Amino acid sequence: MKRFSLRYALMTYKLDQFYLPLAVFGLFIVVSLIMKDTPQFTNIARIYLGTVLPLLGGILAAYAILEDPALELRFATPISASRTLFERLGIIFISQAIFALFFQVIYTLLGGNFSQFVNVWYVQLAWIIPTISLMMLGCVCSLLAANSTIGALMVGMVWLVELIARGWFAENFGKYFLVFMGPLMPEHPDLIANQISLFVISAVLLLCSTALLRRQERYI
Amino acid sequence: MIKINSLTKTYGTGGKTVQALNGLDLVIGQGMFGLLGPNGAGKTTLMRILAGIVNATSGSVNVDGIDVNTEAGKMEVKKMLGYLPQELGMYPELVAAQFVDYMAILKGLDNPVERRERVENVLNMVGLSDNTGRKIKGFSGGMKRRVGIAQALVNDPKLLIVDEPTAGLDPEERIRFRNLLVNLAANRTVLLSTHIVEDIGQTCRDLAVIARGQVVFRGSPAELTQAASGHVWALTSSALEKPDHGLTIVSMLHLAEGTQYRMVGESAADYPNAQPVQPGLEDGYVWLMKSAGQSIDTL
Repeated sequence: MKRFSLRYALMTYKLDQFYLPLAVFGLFIVVSLIMKDTPQFTNIARIYLGTVLPLLGGILAAYAILEDPALELRFATPISASRTLFERLGIIFISQAIFALFFQVIYTLLGGNFSQFVNVWYVQLAWIIPTISLMMLGCVCSLLAANSTIGALMVGMVWLVELIARGWFAENFGKYFLVFMGPLMPEHPDLIANQISLFVISAVLLLCSTALLRRQERYI
Repeated sequence: MIKINSLTKTYGTGGKTVQALNGLDLVIGQGMFGLLGPNGAGKTTLMRILAGIVNATSGSVNVDGIDVNTEAGKMEVKKMLGYLPQELGMYPELVAAQFVDYMAILKGLDNPVERRERVENVLNMVGLSDNTGRKIKGFSGGMKRRVGIAQALVNDPKLLIVDEPTAGLDPEERIRFRNLLVNLAANRTVLLSTHIVEDIGQTCRDLAVIARGQVVFRGSPAELTQAASGHVWALTSSALEKPDHGLTIVSMLHLAEGTQYRMVGESAADYPNAQPVQPGLEDGYVWLMKSAGQSIDTL
């Protein structure tokens, strides 16, 4: 059975959840234009792709499930929890991916380059891994607390702590949990281990989210 | 056929638990079935358990032989279910036809042609054929309820659960809605939960009254009415104080000669002028609640 419609997934996606990433995208394009000829220009792409985009993804993911106005009706249909997660989080990831790819194109047209990264695949991993990690964190925390705002706050807190203390994280066991290693420390010797670890953690959080969402009575 | 045995549901853990259902037993056949009870009696919890949304703490629930307590059973029941919750949330930016179409997709109606036809049919059935292209955010409360019932019907469910469907509707809308439900009950089980006694009396041949998570009455509206026979009185009094002595005032009317009270209770011996009157369904319900020890706010 189909039970999925991209058209309706988009139509039921709250537009304000699209406006915020769009506004931030626009802001970073303007900043790129202003700082085009300065030494800081090389950092703008890393900051946007590796830190800002994942933060927005995490916050949007925290609000993706429980803010559905027709949640009780959806729960009364034979839609599985994993399908609901796929539909709601998928839209957010796709929209973040579009912004990420557009930004790379515009940044390159403005004369920027990604020479800090080994190749273009590493550039993609630099935003995909943090985005997925923070999205799953936001989702699982909001479901665990049955409160979207708490999920968003957890994302913000982890983001802030890891950003400020990234040096400490990189030198300790925390290197396996540092979501910003890919974009901000692409030359770190444990980068691959870090990315594998974050991917596995994200997968575990996805399974936890699925299990939590099956307990529908917690959210109505 | 729905069979419910020793059903309990407890919310919360530790010292902060709430017993919503407390060993509830019930058998419901085809047709319109009314579920009556005061706020907080456990009606919505029962509805949600039947809809596979809430898990029972203990006991069994079978819908057409399917065990609703298992994950697989829940999915099976949801395939044959139409559900209209008490608090109906919808996507305000969608037009009525799109919303019902989307719900049809979620319910597994894959064929676009058949689905479009079915959406048109159900919107026509609920009297919204002229408003299919209007956004839901512009609808009145009654129209939103009708969209709600349309989405519940779109998969032609064998079991239709409607929770407080007439709350907030004007009298005309309520009548229209009740008639619609009766029509729908011709070939399926319709479970109507409400605390509005009149809605049950006008639509159901069979009903159960729930109080404190248990069934305190099971029978027909006529039987419930009859239960209050000999316990309903009318009294016209010019005294400022309202009648009391264990009587519950179910209605009062200010007249030129005083205030006319309609009272339900064990005895009106303390009021020699009180005249026994024929009970109505509401009197039967009030008497039942008094007998069950459920507090009823006096007027």
